[in-house]
Amino acid sequence: MSGAITFDNVSRFYGDVLGVNRVTLSIPPGITSLVGPNGSGKTTLMNLMTGLVRPTRGSIDVLGVSPQDPERLFKIVGYSTQFDSYPRGMTGFQFIQSYLRLFGMSANDAAAAAMRVIERVNLAEAANRKIAGYSKGMRQRIRLAQAIAHDPRVLVLDEPLNGLDPLVRSETIALFRAWAAEGRHVIVSSHVLHEVDSISDQVILLANGYVVAEGQIRGVRDEMREHPMQVVLRCTRANEMAARVFGADHVVEARLHADGGGLLIKTRDADKFYTMLNHIALDGFVIESVAPADDNVNSLYEYLIGGEEPTR
Amino acid sequence: MIGMWLSPIGSVVRLEMKKTFFSKRGLWVYLVALAPVAVMFLHSMVSLANGEERRALAAAHPTSAAALQSIMPGMTVDEVLERAGEPFDRVDLGRRGVFRYTDGRDAYNVNFFNNQVARVTTRTRDTIAYDSTIFATVFQFFYLRLAIFFGCVGVFTNLFRGELLDKSLHYYLLTPLRREVLVIGKYIAGLTATTVIFCTGTVLQIWALSLHFEKSEIADFLNADGWSHIAAYVGVTAAACLGYGSVFLAAGLLFKNPIIPAASVEVWESLNIFLPATLKKVSVIYYLQSLCPIVAQPDENMNRFLKLMINAAEPVSAPVAIIGLFVVTGLVLLLSGRLARRLEINYSTD
Ligand SMILES: Nc1ncnc2c1ncn2[C@@H]1O[C@H](COP(=O)(O)OP(=O)(O)O)[C@@H](O)[C@H]1O
Ligand SMILES: [Mg+2]
Repeated sequence: MSGAITFDNVSRFYGDVLGVNRVTLSIPPGITSLVGPNGSGKTTLMNLMTGLVRPTRGSIDVLGVSPQDPERLFKIVGYSTQFDSYPRGMTGFQFIQSYLRLFGMSANDAAAAAMRVIERVNLAEAANRKIAGYSKGMRQRIRLAQAIAHDPRVLVLDEPLNGLDPLVRSETIALFRAWAAEGRHVIVSSHVLHEVDSISDQVILLANGYVVAEGQIRGVRDEMREHPMQVVLRCTRANEMAARVFGADHVVEARLHADGGGLLIKTRDADKFYTMLNHIALDGFVIESVAPADDNVNSLYEYLIGGEEPTR
Repeated sequence: MIGMWLSPIGSVVRLEMKKTFFSKRGLWVYLVALAPVAVMFLHSMVSLANGEERRALAAAHPTSAAALQSIMPGMTVDEVLERAGEPFDRVDLGRRGVFRYTDGRDAYNVNFFNNQVARVTTRTRDTIAYDSTIFATVFQFFYLRLAIFFGCVGVFTNLFRGELLDKSLHYYLLTPLRREVLVIGKYIAGLTATTVIFCTGTVLQIWALSLHFEKSEIADFLNADGWSHIAAYVGVTAAACLGYGSVFLAAGLLFKNPIIPAASVEVWESLNIFLPATLKKVSVIYYLQSLCPIVAQPDENMNRFLKLMINAAEPVSAPVAIIGLFVVTGLVLLLSGRLARRLEINYSTD
């Protein structure tokens, strides 16, 4: 059994629409991030790895197993998709337990394993509530639990940090680190580079269906510091928040939203900004959402890939 | 080897069973299965009430079947009154007239013209034989062709399509289950639900029809070929779920909108009688009709379309029909397995 996930000249088209094109990759154990703007092909790559879609051309190998062989593949792979939908009427516990029973576990074993993994993602209190009543962050975590429940060696997680508040976000990142330290493959996608690059052993940058860069890009991150980035923050007591963030030297600008329920922030150092936000969150601000302003995602990629047509 | 397949199939069946029996989308299936029960129950109740009324009339105006049957055309009013006594009702229409009699079971109308008997019409009480043909007609025209047919459309096309619409099918595809196992497991769950619902419907219809017959009549019927007829109807019901189920499971994998395949299959099955012998065998209704114990006869005042619908193809023997049905079902399930293997998760384009 080989120790890597490999893509050999893989292309996938949806009719005429390009999903990914001529991807050749080898993903070692550890945390690997797939980063690219919306529509760049992250989900397509993950669906290809897990057999939810088939390649138009090329071949894929996951630790020696073909994604078209579910009987062997899902003994070693767990996938948390970006689909925010669940079997009707189930509680978090029922969801995980019934999923595990499809792996051949007895009712008791499945119940025990389900409870264990639900505790691991900090959802024990909500385990017996219907998923339909969960918050977005809780739903993210129950999907995380579903992906890790059968203890796979490869974890494929599509935008797992999306919708998490800063506290849960850092808890979740800690989980990724722990899983990677156990020798697993942890493959995480994100459309925000600085969200994942500091935790990744490897980053794969995607744009328009092409892999534009891969490897360690900490150097690139440093360069980015010179380019201010914009963040949209929705929170309570936005006035106070504006004063707090504006005090930091890396923040260039903090503008209150017209409705007073949020602000637009320009910062020179995204890392420092997110670290600071985690501290501020502890002081009782309720942060509803943090998102890079859209035009900024574009400018980030323009910068990263030089605005050129991809050549690979 | 078999165990290796059975236990994962069992795990799928367990999960699916609750969905197929208790889905809100499937409530109407119970309604179409039970609607004919209500109609037949009503028929029995009306017939019982009529019997009650005739007995009361006969008590007030006593006469006998023998006397009534001896009335012949040409007799005079007085001769009729002498044989049968006073009728419970006289209708006077000038030169025409009607005496209405009952012996407590059957009703007799003695029609006069110029004070002579013109003819005697009899309205006999329903017999089991008569109700059996009513049942056979309802069973073949309504129950098989419409209720079970569309019930299976509803239940079986939804096995995959329902979860595609809910965007929850991928959870199955992220487990170490062969796609074929998923198909078989879902099929068994759908088959169990439809068989239980529609066989219950069949049995309840027969029970509802039996309510207006006397115990002795029913015993005679059962001792003759009653039990084998009932068993045959229940068997045909289950066979219909088996055959139509596989067809609509495949249709749910092939088409996004189940109405198109349902309509196509309905047309195909209705045209069945016009098809050459080899093509006839590629249908479900052909085998089902061969298995029905009584072939419903189109009666004269039925319209042409209805006649076509219930006209049977020349039947094959029961074992051949059963084997044929299993072969058709097996082939369609094999195709479904193939389709499931090609299935991709593409919710966004639905
Ligand atoms: N089912 C589909 N049908 C048609 N086009 C699709 C489908 N799924 C993805 N695409 C296209 O493929 C490209 C890559 O999409 P995706 O892999 O979802 O990107 P990402 O996850 O990075 O946002 C996009 O242009 C998208 O529109
Ligand atoms: Mg995506």
